[in-house]
Amino acid sequence: MSNPVNLTIDGKAVQAAPGTLLIDAAKQSGILIPAFCYYEGYSLQAACRMCLVEVEKFPKLQAACTLPVAEGMVVRTEAASAVQARKTTLEFLLTNHPLDCPVCDKGGECELQDMVFRYGAGESRFTEVKHHVDEKQWSPVVYYDAPRCILCYRCVRVCDEGMGVTALGITHRGAYSEITPNKGDHLNCDQCGACIDICPVGALTSGIYRYQTRPWEMEHVGTICTHCSDGCKTTLGVRNNEIVRGNNRDSTGINGEFLCIKGRYAFDFIKHEDRLQSPMVRRNGKLEEVSWAEAVKAVAARFAEIKAAGGAIGVAGSVHSTNEESYFLQKFARQGLGTPHIDHARSGDVPALIHALAGKTDALATADSLYHAKAVLVVDADLSQQHPFLAFQVRANVRHHQAAVYTVTRGPVREEQTAAKAVHTADYLAGVRGLGEDLKKHADLVIVFGDGIKGAAVGELVAFGDSLGIPVRYVCLVDYSNSRGAMDMGLLPELGPGYHPAAVRGMSLPQMAASQDLAALWVVGADPLAGGKRLASGKAFVVVQDLFLTDTAKQADVVLPSASAYEKSGTVTNVTGQIQRLKKGLNIMGAKPDLEIFGLIARAMGVDAGRAQNEAVFEEIRKSVRGYNVPLPVLATGGAAQAQPVNGRVDVLPDPELVRSAGDTLFTSGSLGRYSKILGSVMEAPGALYKG
Amino acid sequence: MTFSPELEARLAKMLESYPKGRERAALIPMLMYTQDEVGHISKELAEEVAKRCGVTTLQVEEVVGFYTMLRTKKMGKTHLQICTNISCLLVGGDELWQHASKKLGIGHNQVTADGSISLEEVECIGACSWAPAIQTNYDFHHYVTLDQLDKLIDDLRRIQ
Amino acid sequence: MAINQVFKSASAIVQGLGITFKEMMKPTVTEDYPDVPPVFQERFRGKHELQRDENGMEKCVACFLCAAACPADCIYIEAAENTDKVRISGGERYASVYNIDYTRCIFCGYCVEACPTDAITHGHGFELAAYDTAALIMRKEDMLVAVPPGARPPVIAEAAASHGH
Repeated sequence: MSNPVNLTIDGKAVQAAPGTLLIDAAKQSGILIPAFCYYEGYSLQAACRMCLVEVEKFPKLQAACTLPVAEGMVVRTEAASAVQARKTTLEFLLTNHPLDCPVCDKGGECELQDMVFRYGAGESRFTEVKHHVDEKQWSPVVYYDAPRCILCYRCVRVCDEGMGVTALGITHRGAYSEITPNKGDHLNCDQCGACIDICPVGALTSGIYRYQTRPWEMEHVGTICTHCSDGCKTTLGVRNNEIVRGNNRDSTGINGEFLCIKGRYAFDFIKHEDRLQSPMVRRNGKLEEVSWAEAVKAVAARFAEIKAAGGAIGVAGSVHSTNEESYFLQKFARQGLGTPHIDHARSGDVPALIHALAGKTDALATADSLYHAKAVLVVDADLSQQHPFLAFQVRANVRHHQAAVYTVTRGPVREEQTAAKAVHTADYLAGVRGLGEDLKKHADLVIVFGDGIKGAAVGELVAFGDSLGIPVRYVCLVDYSNSRGAMDMGLLPELGPGYHPAAVRGMSLPQMAASQDLAALWVVGADPLAGGKRLASGKAFVVVQDLFLTDTAKQADVVLPSASAYEKSGTVTNVTGQIQRLKKGLNIMGAKPDLEIFGLIARAMGVDAGRAQNEAVFEEIRKSVRGYNVPLPVLATGGAAQAQPVNGRVDVLPDPELVRSAGDTLFTSGSLGRYSKILGSVMEAPGALYKG
Repeated sequence: MTFSPELEARLAKMLESYPKGRERAALIPMLMYTQDEVGHISKELAEEVAKRCGVTTLQVEEVVGFYTMLRTKKMGKTHLQICTNISCLLVGGDELWQHASKKLGIGHNQVTADGSISLEEVECIGACSWAPAIQTNYDFHHYVTLDQLDKLIDDLRRIQ
Repeated sequence: MAINQVFKSASAIVQGLGITFKEMMKPTVTEDYPDVPPVFQERFRGKHELQRDENGMEKCVACFLCAAACPADCIYIEAAENTDKVRISGGERYASVYNIDYTRCIFCGYCVEACPTDAITHGHGFELAAYDTAALIMRKEDMLVAVPPGARPPVIAEAAASHGH
């Protein structure tokens, strides 16, 4: 802190950096000045008048949210005049606010309720009839009850500044002011629900959580969202073994309060009626429900037979499974089943990036670096659609630190709105090179690239980064919640855990499908035969572990119902290599976590693949996967530990042709999203979508 | 949406008078002048102005909703505004209002059947020194008596 | 046998019967419980009743405050939203499930105190013995009072209309 300002707040000597707002300075020293409209990180409003404080030598009360600290300032936040002013403000806010707290969703966690509890104003001198407006539904997820609104503008600002959507505004005047959606009677936006979360009262309510329960009735389970690879922490409200809401109001986790529609609402896939809840075995051409013991026995017996006969067993891993499960799967496959044919659906060329960055340190960016870097270059990615949290970080960086954003994409993307330069080209490397002179001017740079840069292009991109002469860090975008982890754990035919070359190079997924003599295919949470594709080998024994009866599962001989990320614990690695822990939120009857299923099969086969138990497997991962030797307390307390696997060359590079992003948007995500009714119910999407 | 060449020239000049990137500053005058030509601020007009000022249509609607002088429904050829705020009220503003309303047979923000005159009960129009005051479009009438109001309305009807 | 002993015994009987006859003249204090229903003080805290308003709508808006106040944790609620088709309570929300576990209830009355809509009250029901503890988990239907005469709550009115009334 350069030349801190000294002031006194409530008799306490406080130091703050020049320019700090009084409300922030007070908060830093543990004094909470109440406010509705003020919200950290967003523009100032000074509309609610709750933060009025007494400042010596000022003739009148001052709004702490817009007053910068000054040397020698003496502030009394709870002076009698300030308390009286707040009480009157509250009485005024309550003139039109209905007293329907017993039915209001916000009751129990309402800021207005808390304030009235604290400052009184239990009685009103206002005897006129309250102005009533009927509740409106703006979208499947957003409801607006105008009389409850206290016009703090938080929702308008979070939508405009935080999300970059500007879907909300305020029309009319005075007591008749109302929040208005951009399409007159409905919203065309990201449907992220940030406006609902940020609302201090129950004016904006969620279509999913609406009238379901009360806040104190839920158990709050902080886990990691299982949709895209950004790894946002979502706190699930669980009641009676059912998830009723997701949010992250406690701001823990890398994403702070941010969540997109998927993290906040798209947990409903777990209760979809198509969810598998019993193992099935094919008998006489039909899948029949059987007991777990029977199904596991059938799998183990057949695997043992094929192994003994020396048949080829193909294994397809999942991009949603935990690191523990992926690691155990490849270990079991390589050592237990003796097969090198392991693969998963790859969506980003991480091995090529790791290889290109050999010898460098601190060259992999985190979600945090996107907020702090002076410049960000986005190559072939629609961040707002595919990586909403990374996009949010970039927007916050522009807003708070005036970062320069450059985009090189095929078509228009939202990041262009604030970009210093936007290039539309399909020749990404040429587009990037054209920006060289601009990029050099900045102190540091983060390059975020999608699947348009893969194979040799990754090396060229890194060489370009080196040529700039400034510190450059990289993010290789991948699609799903543990796409990165699946690669790090060695679910690749060429590479084992930690990108060490595999002893024997196996077949990739397309090769397995095309192989005439594949004896078995074990598919864990993947859909390699999507769209009704057939295996070339007609005799192959197909085992599928999944949540739903996928196209592959329909062709399977044995189907085992597995648990989703919200029903198990373990660790996942996000797109920027941050390892975070899942926390089990609920049980779905009949489904088992993949790791438990692996353990059951291993035991039935009499194969010793180590203990199929999260802590034991993670301990092994820490020892054998480079970059994963992370401090356990960080994970145990719900933090994100950074995996830094950049220290050496990757001797065998996988075929870049197999890297293909699914190109999901905010409202689609192939594997799980199609089973979320909420995602399916929101139709309109903002702006021109990035279509592949 | 197209405007007359004179208005186009005026709008172009207006946009020039603000620094680049601050086109939104022209929002209110642009809305007022286009309203004068078009008659009211239609959805189409709001979209056009939003495009020219570099804001969203919703942001234009916010402004239109806030100012009573910006109207979303078509008013009469002459918009008669009668002040009933405190200064005018004390010297008979309310009687003027009652009289006009009765004579024209319309109420607040309503238009006569032939579309010639519309009536609005307004808050202070800044002519307290000459109260009671009324305004017809952009013209002020000071120290208005009931007779003068009668004559004014008759004249307005005759012009149509 | 001494004559005085005879007198002594006779006087004891007379004395005893005297008390009996005296008490026979006084009003009875015991109650003929199974044959005649018992009378309670108003404040008696018996089995809960879920009240209806004058239109016959349920007063409970499923705010969960009774469940929060309950020291024995015996109240279980599931909430649902009133719609145009199904309108159960006067508020936006109603209790689709409302259970009280009488194996746990201690009849403290906190739920009644906590209720913002006076929906739950203590009735005078006291016959809470059962052979099966499961029978002591009362559902909403077991506790809900009857629709007041003359009132036509929407759902019921609709049902009546569909039956040709």
